[in-house]
Amino acid sequence: MSPEQKKYLKKIKYNKIKVIIVQIILLSSFLILWEILVNKGIISSFIYSSPSRIIKTIIELIKNHNFFIHIYVTLKEVFISFILGISLGFIIALILYECKFLAKVIDPFLTMLNSLPKVALGPLIIIVCGANIKSVILMALLINLIVNIITFYNGFMGVDEYILKLFKSLGASKYQILTKLVIPSSYQTIIASFKLCISLTLIGVIMGEFLVSKEGIGYLIVYGKQVFNLNYVMTGIILLSIISYILYRLIIILENKLLKHL
Amino acid sequence: MNNVLELNDISKNYHTKLGEVLAVKDINFKIKKGEIVSLVGPSGCGKSTLLSIIAGLDQDYYGSLNKAKYLKIAYMLQSDALLPWLTIYDNAILGLKIKKIYNAETKKYVDYLFDFYNLNEFRKSYPKNLSGGMKQRVALIRTLALKPDLLLLDEPFSALDQQSRLLISDDVYKIAKKEKKTVILVTHNIEEAVSFSDRVIVLSKRPSIIKNIININFANQESIYERRKDEHYHEYFDQIWKDLDINES
Repeated sequence: MSPEQKKYLKKIKYNKIKVIIVQIILLSSFLILWEILVNKGIISSFIYSSPSRIIKTIIELIKNHNFFIHIYVTLKEVFISFILGISLGFIIALILYECKFLAKVIDPFLTMLNSLPKVALGPLIIIVCGANIKSVILMALLINLIVNIITFYNGFMGVDEYILKLFKSLGASKYQILTKLVIPSSYQTIIASFKLCISLTLIGVIMGEFLVSKEGIGYLIVYGKQVFNLNYVMTGIILLSIISYILYRLIIILENKLLKHL
Repeated sequence: MNNVLELNDISKNYHTKLGEVLAVKDINFKIKKGEIVSLVGPSGCGKSTLLSIIAGLDQDYYGSLNKAKYLKIAYMLQSDALLPWLTIYDNAILGLKIKKIYNAETKKYVDYLFDFYNLNEFRKSYPKNLSGGMKQRVALIRTLALKPDLLLLDEPFSALDQQSRLLISDDVYKIAKKEKKTVILVTHNIEEAVSFSDRVIVLSKRPSIIKNIININFANQESIYERRKDEHYHEYFDQIWKDLDINES
């Protein structure tokens, strides 16, 4: 390796480290400033809590054996709704792709459903599914499914017309076109929709937990509000931020693995 | 029959909301085995439409089309149409896989083609790592792997830089001559048509009719470079230019 190349690689590494250091400084200054402002009484500890109070709340929750249950329940709901949303979205989009007539017929209804604020359906969902995990999952599904269908469908429709012509000239069957061309060429759209879907699912799950739940991070936040212990609320928010960041990173890792060659 | 392909009074209409558009009108020509024929015409004149009809991709036309019974047709397009998620080798055997004829014999032929076009070291690479010219060569291997009798080329060189364009068109020219393949090339490039083909069919603008058919005879037919050096090269060029009748308006 030439010295220039070494220097270049070193520079890339140095820049990466620089970004991470600044990120750490930003985050810790925010936390320290928060703690100091609360301790000096400049902002209300009752409303805004503080990093030390949040840590105490977490320790207390762990001692009461509630901490991991809340996280587990929320993660479970997110996971189920995510998988259901992706697979149902994929299947429905495929059906619409194969049946353009149906796609045209339901297009305005999809648009209507997509722009409807799903939380308005909350009361209906509770009556239909009852006050249990099913309601939470259904709420999350309502929020992520329509977007998934639309993104997948657009992905399928975006197949390169030259390649499609090539497949037809080779006499490919409908099944071959689907499995060898349409689905693989939508990998990028599929992974991109994972990113969108995970944040929508989180929104849906928390919204569902707000409506009906006895466990979960959404429940923790609602409970904190009811008993006027805003430490719970802040702890819930912080936990959610960490979870959504980790889930997002996981999808990025998956993306890098799957799309290596594109 | 001596002709591998006969087009008799082929006409084609397109239907749009705004009305009917006549794309090609009463097209008649015959092509003999091993002949290289170019279709030249202004853009949008229906050259590609004719190719789609010949390939059997478009069945909605008037007139009759007779193809030799044994005829195996392969299509090469403007874009290399390589699948970015498959390796170069998997792209090359795509047609064989789709037609379910990937076996020891066809594999051997693909290996030979990889050798012949110096692409062996790129077998496991992905399309994004290859230059435009190399990618079009892979597309050529994918086409030849099917051992077609009739090659339909829809401006396959037009997206390439001048250098690759000459190289690849010479590749196709030589293999077509060597293996006695029949070729129909659609192009809007007059030089390409003259240097590449035995016969040039000049089409008018829409609705397309055949304006002229020009037989090209060169003394040295070894490569397109040799053909370009021929003293009559420019006469053919001028003749086609005149037939195309492209004026500023």
